[in-house]
Amino acid sequence: MKLIPTKTVFLGFIIGTLACCKPENATPTASATTSGFDMTKASLIKKGDFVEVSHGPTTGTAHVYDQAGTKYVVLDPFVSPSGPDLKVYFSKDKNASDYIRLGKLLSTRGKQEYIVPGSPIVGDYHYVHIWCEAFSVEFSHAEIK
Amino acid sequence: MKMKFYCLVLICSSNVCGVYSQSTKKKSDDFVNATVAVAKHQGTFALAYVHRWRFGVHKKFGVGLGGRFTSYIGANQHYETAPAQLTSGGTGPSVIFKETITANIDTFLVKSPQVNSLNVSINIDYRLSKKITAGFNIDAIGFSFGGSRNGNYINGPSGKMTDAKPTAFNILLISDNDRGSLNSEFYANYSLNEKWGLKAGAQFLFTEYTTATEVQQFPSANNRFRNKSLLFCAGVSYQL
Repeated sequence: MKLIPTKTVFLGFIIGTLACCKPENATPTASATTSGFDMTKASLIKKGDFVEVSHGPTTGTAHVYDQAGTKYVVLDPFVSPSGPDLKVYFSKDKNASDYIRLGKLLSTRGKQEYIVPGSPIVGDYHYVHIWCEAFSVEFSHAEIK
Repeated sequence: MKMKFYCLVLICSSNVCGVYSQSTKKKSDDFVNATVAVAKHQGTFALAYVHRWRFGVHKKFGVGLGGRFTSYIGANQHYETAPAQLTSGGTGPSVIFKETITANIDTFLVKSPQVNSLNVSINIDYRLSKKITAGFNIDAIGFSFGGSRNGNYINGPSGKMTDAKPTAFNILLISDNDRGSLNSEFYANYSLNEKWGLKAGAQFLFTEYTTATEVQQFPSANNRFRNKSLLFCAGVSYQL
């Protein structure tokens, strides 16, 4: 019986270990869009550019659209540093003292869309934040006007 | 000369043993201990004084009363809705048998919690051998203090960033009826000599924050949030 060479076993172990080390909460880097949003049918309510708060430069623009009564927050273009447990908050002020959670950040780069849940008065919401929830750290925010 | 030295050592050690066995038969004694406890992203330091009364023919059973200062520090800790009325749908002793109502539990995430508490504590122990004692202690009543912290109140799709302070008044009741920050330990103490001992065990700690406003509104208004931590603890004890 031919034995598997030690080198192959070792290499397989290293590859397997590295594959298992992929962080569960890492944010994907590919562009992410949802099927429900159609820009041709939506009207822009307000928008604003992202500014860095911590952990490296974030660039891009946050838009708020209305499509048949449903409100969408669209990040396009968008580039953000990666981090654990990144969430998108839609808030009334700079400190996110009252916010709506739009969900997990779908991607660290490229166009992405988020439905605003419930029926909030979007006029009261002036900021979009990228927030590392697990460590309570704000990465960036965009003031939308 | 050598013989004399051995005799001297023998006499001294027999005297120490004599004193030691005498101390284990005392009706009451006093001791202090210093304990550190750690778990993932959190830790405590505690100083305690206990006056203990010994019971039984061989004075193996001890009940003590004392005071304990506990200082807790953590990072990114989740505090959950505290009042028994919300967690168990009622108050009173029966809450211990009730399931937690998960729909009523909201989270308050505190980035850098730091709570200090000073409580009257109860200690119960049993001397398993001359060297080893197993025991349990729990805080009963006292107060907490610490700086204000900003936290993230999370309630499904919505949330608020708000300030909070450690709940000032602590009292041990039953299960979720408890209020404030309370420490408890299951431990074993190994006596190195008549005075000094080493202890190790498990620490179960409640810390509680009260938010500046009643951020939780459903099913009723609430501003108290509790963290339950299980930590490994080790320390030293000193017989007074």
